Amino acid sequence: MRLSAAAWISHGRLRRRLGYGPRSRLDLLRNLLTGLVRHERIEAPRARLDEMRFYAEHLIDYAKRGDTDPKAMNMANFWLTEKDLIHKLFKVLAPRFQAHAGNYTRMLQIPNRTTIDRAKMAVIEYKGNPFPPLPIPRRDSGKTLVNQLLKGYKDDVFRTKGAQLQEGHVGTAV
Amino acid sequence: MASFRVACGLRRGCSKRFVSTDPVPRLSTAEIAQMRNELFSKEKERQLSLYPRIEKIEVKYVGTSHPGTLFIMNKGLSTPYTCAMHLSEWHCKKSVLALVDGNLWDMYRPLTQSCEIQFLTFKDEDPEEVNKAYWRSCAMILGCVLEQAFKDEYLVTLVRAPEVPVVSGAFCYDVILDSRLNAWTPTEENLRSFTKEVHKLIYKDLPFEILDVDVKVALEIFQHNQYKLDAVKQKASQNSEGIVQLHRFGDFIDVSEGPHIPRTSFCGQYEVTAAHNLESRQSELIRRVQGLSLPVQLKLHHAVWHRLLERSQKLVNEDKRKEMKNENEVSKTESV
Repeated sequence: MRLSAAAWISHGRLRRRLGYGPRSRLDLLRNLLTGLVRHERIEAPRARLDEMRFYAEHLIDYAKRGDTDPKAMNMANFWLTEKDLIHKLFKVLAPRFQAHAGNYTRMLQIPNRTTIDRAKMAVIEYKGNPFPPLPIPRRDSGKTLVNQLLKGYKDDVFRTKGAQLQEGHVGTAV
Repeated sequence: MASFRVACGLRRGCSKRFVSTDPVPRLSTAEIAQMRNELFSKEKERQLSLYPRIEKIEVKYVGTSHPGTLFIMNKGLSTPYTCAMHLSEWHCKKSVLALVDGNLWDMYRPLTQSCEIQFLTFKDEDPEEVNKAYWRSCAMILGCVLEQAFKDEYLVTLVRAPEVPVVSGAFCYDVILDSRLNAWTPTEENLRSFTKEVHKLIYKDLPFEILDVDVKVALEIFQHNQYKLDAVKQKASQNSEGIVQLHRFGDFIDVSEGPHIPRTSFCGQYEVTAAHNLESRQSELIRRVQGLSLPVQLKLHHAVWHRLLERSQKLVNEDKRKEMKNENEVSKTESV
């Protein structure tokens, strides 16, 4: 979903520039993705994880084709630098997400890095992992002042509509 | 002795009242406000002088942000706001009320003993009490503006600010205007000028001061307003020690129904939307002036805001649950 015009009109810039070039970018993302498949929850700069997320989701899509599919095996071989993880991908992750279509990962922002460059950080995980759940930021509760006002407004609208409907019924009956 | 004093106060209040209704020596609104302020300030100084030596109290912070914080504060001087100043600017800006040992506490009300403290904001999980306080304060600001907006020749008598739930969509203040204005209905421009006055007050960033006073002092402060006198007496009868809580911001003083927000600048959007004539048995015409406001921390898209404004023009009534409760009590007593 495009949230704003500024994000939508990207003038051909479809992805961020990471690393020292195309090859370096792939290496970087590949190492991150390997880490994600191994640990199922990792922490890294937000921009890199945001770029990596696309590949993480698509890797699961390929894995769901099964390990007999040459394309799927090729992809797993490329994206996982540590080859013992290929087995995990096909035997653990693919069955886990068999019932789902997309949205295999969850990404949350965490406080900025305090040491080197104060970069924006994030944590990404495959859903259904054995770790304790991340503290997901609460959505705005219905009890704030604005929401209470809106609730009153909504109730009013429903009440008037209901009254109108009832009047209509009475009219037809007569 | 106390009862004798109260009786004295009542008699005095009544006699003054009769004098004030006499047409010749009627005081203007500004003079009354000045008199009230002098009395309020005097009482405040007197209460401050009760703590000649600074004593220390231990205040434990039990919020989520800074676990295990312990403040050593001054008894009778330090307020929850001073505690918040030790924590962070965020706490100063966002805290609306404090929870002292489980009781709601104004941010500018001095702490009197060692206690546990916690701060409440508009974005808490359950900000019901904060919302109520905000609604109350907005009504009080409205009352202040109504009192001061008219020319000196017109007498404005504030009746009270009914406690209206936030869901009903508007806060209100009941007021009786001069009998010469009975035929007058405020136009949209009049309401807008009220709104302007309110925004001046908000811009001034006035603090809400709180003071617990004896019923005698309260009666003296409100001697020119019969309705406020009644409110004071009712409050005093509810309290076992006959103490009445007053709030002041700028030079406007009111009997308080509960805690208020710390400063007027907490109000962001604010609009006076409507004035209705209430049907009452008395000869005087009671008007209910209504408004809608949102704090700075919560903003709303203008389309939604305008819809809420439209809704807030409808006449609001007091909390129905409260009335129901009263009715129940009445029926119970009848059945007994």
